[in-house]
Amino acid sequence: MKKQMNYLTFILAGIRNKPGRNLATVFCFAFIAANIFSGQYLIAGAVGSVGQGVSRMGADYIVAPVQYSVFLRGAGPDNTFAIVKALPLAWRMNNNILDKIGSVQGVLGISPQLYVSTFNSSELSPSPVEVFGIDPATDFTVQPWLQQPLTDPLGPGEVIIGYEISGDVSSKIQVFNHIYTIKGRLDPTQSAADTTIFMRMDDAYSLAATEGVVPPSSSRISPGDINAVLVRIGPGEDPDIVGTRIRRSFLPSQITVIGRHFALDPASQDIQGLPGLLNVISVIIVVAAFPLIALIAAMVANERRREIGLLKSMGAKRNVIFFFVIAESLVLAAIGGIVGVVASIITLYMLNMQGFLNSALQVSFRMPSIGAAGFMAGIALFVVIAIGSLSSLYPAYTSSRMNPYDAIRGER
Amino acid sequence: MINITGVTKTFMTGCSEVRAVDDIQLEVSPGEFILIFGRSGCGKSTLLGMLAGLIRPTSGEIRIKGVDIGSLSDDNISGLRAKEIGFVFQFSGLIPTVTVLENVLLPTLFCTGGPGSRLRALELLEKVGVADRADAYPCTLSSGEMKRVAIARALINGPSLLIADEPTGDLDVDTEYEIMELFRQLNHEGTTIVMVTHNPDLISYGTQTYRMDKGKIVERPGSSSVSNRVPGPDCILKSKDLP
Repeated sequence: MKKQMNYLTFILAGIRNKPGRNLATVFCFAFIAANIFSGQYLIAGAVGSVGQGVSRMGADYIVAPVQYSVFLRGAGPDNTFAIVKALPLAWRMNNNILDKIGSVQGVLGISPQLYVSTFNSSELSPSPVEVFGIDPATDFTVQPWLQQPLTDPLGPGEVIIGYEISGDVSSKIQVFNHIYTIKGRLDPTQSAADTTIFMRMDDAYSLAATEGVVPPSSSRISPGDINAVLVRIGPGEDPDIVGTRIRRSFLPSQITVIGRHFALDPASQDIQGLPGLLNVISVIIVVAAFPLIALIAAMVANERRREIGLLKSMGAKRNVIFFFVIAESLVLAAIGGIVGVVASIITLYMLNMQGFLNSALQVSFRMPSIGAAGFMAGIALFVVIAIGSLSSLYPAYTSSRMNPYDAIRGER
Repeated sequence: MINITGVTKTFMTGCSEVRAVDDIQLEVSPGEFILIFGRSGCGKSTLLGMLAGLIRPTSGEIRIKGVDIGSLSDDNISGLRAKEIGFVFQFSGLIPTVTVLENVLLPTLFCTGGPGSRLRALELLEKVGVADRADAYPCTLSSGEMKRVAIARALINGPSLLIADEPTGDLDVDTEYEIMELFRQLNHEGTTIVMVTHNPDLISYGTQTYRMDKGKIVERPGSSSVSNRVPGPDCILKSKDLP
């Protein structure tokens, strides 16, 4: 036996009665929702990718002991790697220069790094493994490359490993005679950071104090020693001017200020027009679909004149008839919206798995978070439901005011 | 219960005015079975439509339980229909997308606080003899079964007035007899019924019988042509009587 009669039962029964027509209507709504969701999703993914790329570009400058410039002289100006970490060089300085650099006008952030040692471990990597100390609280060059953001800050005894270092997150790793817990792993950087282990500065000092870690040819590492200071300048600041300011804060014999020689600008320019284009396409589809759906709603209302007349003869008031017509459209819109969003998610996920999105957008597509995707799905659903309700407003109004006697007799 | 005073209804057909109902005077007391007969196009259905508040009269007054329904708004008339009036159409009038039971329960959506309930719906289906088809869809029913369901639906909210517009018009004589007997039973149980038909053979069922022609009531109870007819179901030509 069926359940008690209610409005929803009646509305769903009406929808079931015309599967072909309602399937077409649902498809219309699904198409709109899929278009809106996919557009927003692609925009967010592409922008997120560029945002991540920008954050991963690392430092604008490295402030290092003056000997660095001598070492780099042969490298030339065409280096295009992101400055993720300092070079594994033994020249050091004291961290008392941090405040001075940080106070330079135009400097947004600074973070010290310390190169500790390089060692070979076939278990960890076929390449030599470098060990660096970082300050997790100020670091802005290493952690943006993490495959998964840390749930809490890097703690004592915990390390972040480069992409090519063997070991799973949460497992133990041996560095010389010290055991550390792997807290996170980086994405590939195509640089020496891929074979580097990063640890807290205090852990780095403790490790450096262990015999055999620092080669006898190098000077001893004391607490407070740092290898380099990575500098990020504020938005809108002229990098050359800020670099000059930093240089002028010190004697030329004290430090060297090394700028980066790369840019992601061409990539970001490639996708600059993408959000606008996708939004325009979404608007065109919505505008084109609106009268079509309104026409379908009007046809449905007209087709059900006798039914509406019968309902009125049973005592249905105008607002009830209005509700029936609107609700049917809303249910179809909601079903279509959900179908469209789910189909989009599956399609985009599969395309991303195959790498099509990367090649299509010419950037490294980054899937938006579940929360962001949920928000976009909400927007897509809201838009189709709004279209569904607005497009059926007039048919609902005319149906509610229909003369029941004429409606039953099929007359105007 | 019902007072119809000087009710007229005119329609415009092209440039000419058609007087479908012309100055009707009628009184219906509680418990009566009013039967109005007449040829097609004589204005019977228009009169019923006005009685149910589906059509507004051009002039005159219709009072149901003292309320002038012409003065009510559309929504108030709908409310009155939901509580006080059950309507049975010539066609089945069932909603094809829901089951028999759901059809019977439909009017309960529009009548809050009424007696309509699932139990009552099942009882009514039992009463009209189609309880075993409660879960069936209307398209699987015979014409007679559809009509029975329509009667059950008209009664679900416990109306004081049952209006029937040619309820047996599309039925064979056996089924017509069964349906008319059902109306008679309902009337004996206290339901006031106003019914129109073009079949003069049914007039014996009415406690009051009227004949309409060209929008007017031309014969009333007591007039010879009406009262001379033999009352009861025997005046219906049954199929077994056919050669």
